Amino acid sequence: MAKIYTFLKYLFVILWACFVIAPFLWAISTSFKDFNSVTSGATYIPWLQFEPTLDGWSVLFKPGSQGGINIVGPYFNSIFVTLTASIISIALGTLAAYALSRYTFKAGIVQNNDITFFFISQRIMPPVVLSIPFFLFLSTLGLLDSLAGLIMVYIVLLMPIAVWIMVDFFNRVPKEIDETALIDGCNPFQAFFKVVLPNSIPGMIVAGLFCIIFGWIDFFFAFILTFTNVQLLPVKIVALNSSITPWWSLSAAALVSVAPLIIVAFVVERYLSKGNLSGALK
Amino acid sequence: MNFKHKYVFLLPGLIVLIGILIFPVIFTVRLSLSGWNSFNPELDFVGIKNYIRLFTEDPRFWQSFFRLSFLAVTTVFLQYVIGFALAHMVWKDIKFKRFFRVLFLIPMMTTPVIMTVIWRTFFHESLGPLNDFLGLFGLQPQWLSSPGLAKVSIIVVEVWQWTSFMFLLMLAGLLSLPKEPFLAAAIDGASPFKKFIYVTFPLMAPISIGAIIIRLIEASKIMDTVFVLTSGGPGTSTETSSFYIFIKGLREFQMGYAATMSFTYLIIMIISLTIIAKVLTKVLMRE
Amino acid sequence: MSLQLGNISLKPTEQYHLNDVTLNFEPGKMYTILGRTLSGKTTLLKTIAGLQSPDSGSIHFMGKDFLSIPVWERNVAMVYQQFINYPHLNVRENIEFPLKQRKMEPSLIDKEVSDAIKKVGLEGFEVRKIQELSGGQQQRVALARSLAKKAKILLLDEPLVNLDYKLREGLREEFKKLFKGEEASQSILIYASTDPLEAMQLNGDIIVIDEGKILQVGSAKDVFENPANAKVAEITNDPAMNLNNGTIQDNKLIFNNEIQFDLPSNLQSIQPGDYQIGIRATDIHLDENGFGFDVDISEISGSETFLHLHSQNIKCVATIEEVKSYEVNQVVKINFDTSKIYLFKESGELLHSPFKS
Repeated sequence: MAKIYTFLKYLFVILWACFVIAPFLWAISTSFKDFNSVTSGATYIPWLQFEPTLDGWSVLFKPGSQGGINIVGPYFNSIFVTLTASIISIALGTLAAYALSRYTFKAGIVQNNDITFFFISQRIMPPVVLSIPFFLFLSTLGLLDSLAGLIMVYIVLLMPIAVWIMVDFFNRVPKEIDETALIDGCNPFQAFFKVVLPNSIPGMIVAGLFCIIFGWIDFFFAFILTFTNVQLLPVKIVALNSSITPWWSLSAAALVSVAPLIIVAFVVERYLSKGNLSGALK
Repeated sequence: MNFKHKYVFLLPGLIVLIGILIFPVIFTVRLSLSGWNSFNPELDFVGIKNYIRLFTEDPRFWQSFFRLSFLAVTTVFLQYVIGFALAHMVWKDIKFKRFFRVLFLIPMMTTPVIMTVIWRTFFHESLGPLNDFLGLFGLQPQWLSSPGLAKVSIIVVEVWQWTSFMFLLMLAGLLSLPKEPFLAAAIDGASPFKKFIYVTFPLMAPISIGAIIIRLIEASKIMDTVFVLTSGGPGTSTETSSFYIFIKGLREFQMGYAATMSFTYLIIMIISLTIIAKVLTKVLMRE
Repeated sequence: MSLQLGNISLKPTEQYHLNDVTLNFEPGKMYTILGRTLSGKTTLLKTIAGLQSPDSGSIHFMGKDFLSIPVWERNVAMVYQQFINYPHLNVRENIEFPLKQRKMEPSLIDKEVSDAIKKVGLEGFEVRKIQELSGGQQQRVALARSLAKKAKILLLDEPLVNLDYKLREGLREEFKKLFKGEEASQSILIYASTDPLEAMQLNGDIIVIDEGKILQVGSAKDVFENPANAKVAEITNDPAMNLNNGTIQDNKLIFNNEIQFDLPSNLQSIQPGDYQIGIRATDIHLDENGFGFDVDISEISGSETFLHLHSQNIKCVATIEEVKSYEVNQVVKINFDTSKIYLFKESGELLHSPFKS
């Protein structure tokens, strides 16, 4: 019985692994093709079934004027916007989460849990719902097609995540530590920065990881709110999806864009195994 | 503990959030009461005409809503079952544990849109590898141009993308479980099957609920996949609520009506999710 | 130099309440706040520390209005029952923390920290991380941190309750020793406990509290010998003092038709009537010629046996000074040491105690 289970286990795991890898392999293979290789039917193995070229790859780094699809610029834009929005979200979100965990707020019938729910409910809104008003909002402020405008919008997306994770985390740090800091002469700010924060690094790392992930993968807001000046990676790549889609450069661009997060996957797994992540995610 | 300092902690984040949100939200409501469309791009006031139209003359909206529920529930269910199973399998005693864990985490780290673009080429009916393979068996399913299979394609892509997220949450949860109940089960000579039913699953109940809710919230916003893979088609077979709102608002520029749909959708979502959360808690906690 | 609480009240919530508490603490003395769980001991300590604000009442310390001074400016120290230390700092840094916060001279800090470490017996542990220490050691670090601060008010909330028995005994003695010395003569030590035995061993002034109200204040001896009312008698004894309704009539003390005896000489002057009769578990002995009681439960604890007995409507617990097992429903014969009988009015107030007439 146990043998059958083990066999099934490995089978399942391997099948799923193949499923996970499949699109990547396809993309890698496709990125080395040219027009003919693609349109004459599906082909897989380079040299055996088609002549590989580096067109798909080289064109990524040529600026548009030379017939290329420069993704370097959008790449850095994405990094900048994601990091900035994440940092601000974590900073403000952690502070708010601390307040919600430690203190009681009451404004009429609104209490702590309601305020927390308010933060978290921002995630329920589909991008579509927010995009029209945001479009007009940024337009009024003259921030359409700008990095600052986009960062503002991303903060709305990411702060709820930071608050969600950090409130849970703070609830599991004993209040008595805060109290001891107060008794030892710290005012509430000092108690937070000198005592609570140094012990919250694991939680903040988790919040940080999630903010970065969800910020990096956004497509819709960048799509609606930016045009020519500011271009983010996902938008750039989808824009290639026209009637004559250059599959090869598309695949190459896609691979380049997902590469950095593979590193993040390693980091997350490390953290997971060490047991730090588990506590924070509960 | 109640010090005045608490406001300094809470307010910056809250004010920033409200500040950035308040205009859009109020504007959406105001917009929903207007008849803004491409012929008449003005903020006039038509009362609840839009709402009446939505509830009585627009079955397409409600159909899109059912489609969305179907897709969301199906994908989240599959993600939960597969994600939990995978997490359980790479939890302990397996070769190349690390390799599998990292591999299974990768999909959620990728940008959904970008991967969907690749999937589009994958599902391509004449030039894609999938139909090439299936062609060996004489099958050439119309992945993207038949209504039923289009839904399947979306489900496949979503499952590929987000099972990884469930996997992460479940694995983190499993790793944080206390050892004692398992030791007790081992002493009692429980079989792996019994162990799962009576120890693992109940202990994971709260985490399961949290994970399902989080995924449902995110899944209900399915947009990128639909946008790239099928554009809501063929016809309207994969048109979800978000997509329909998108069409009405940003393609046909019936902003007023789109705002109405948005607001209604939001209320429905909040109510449904709250109910689902409560029901799930009752069901899973009882076991 | 004294700490005065005047009519302190906190509205009852699920965690906190105090009801019109007025207390006076003198420097150089140790006070034990004795009460059951949730009786308000922690609330009282937190109010003195400043972590809780009373809804009404006043607190004065050294003549100043304490309530207008926030926690971080009051010079108090507190040790919790859960071994609270700063997890991200090592032992030395933990103890230094309040001193650094106060911006003390570095050389002075070093001296104070070394002194404190010596006092609690943790030499050699300076650079250890908190997580590496045992429970007892962690608590000592917390204590050292409080001592190094030279706070005028030292608050201890059941500090030993999470330690094992032997450790508790040892540390309790160390506490008493630590608290002697000239610095101590200017500070106020307030120790909260649920254990009457511990309160007796500490031998300070006892403040009995129940449901947020102060029931009695007095020396350990006095509170033990002369509990102000039946509730105090319950709280200050473990097992609780046996209380049963009885009547004094016709020169006899009557519990029921089977259990009655002639009024002992020390009770002759009491008016006939209905009273609550109190007798300690240790003042009930096995006696072949005594009254028959049925055994409900027999508990062995350490070197003693606690017998839970009843006879019709009379219930009591007797402490037997040996380890012996009894069967349920077995009949044992016991007698009461009548010279140790307490009389409480039906309302609960003490009417007669064996130690005072």
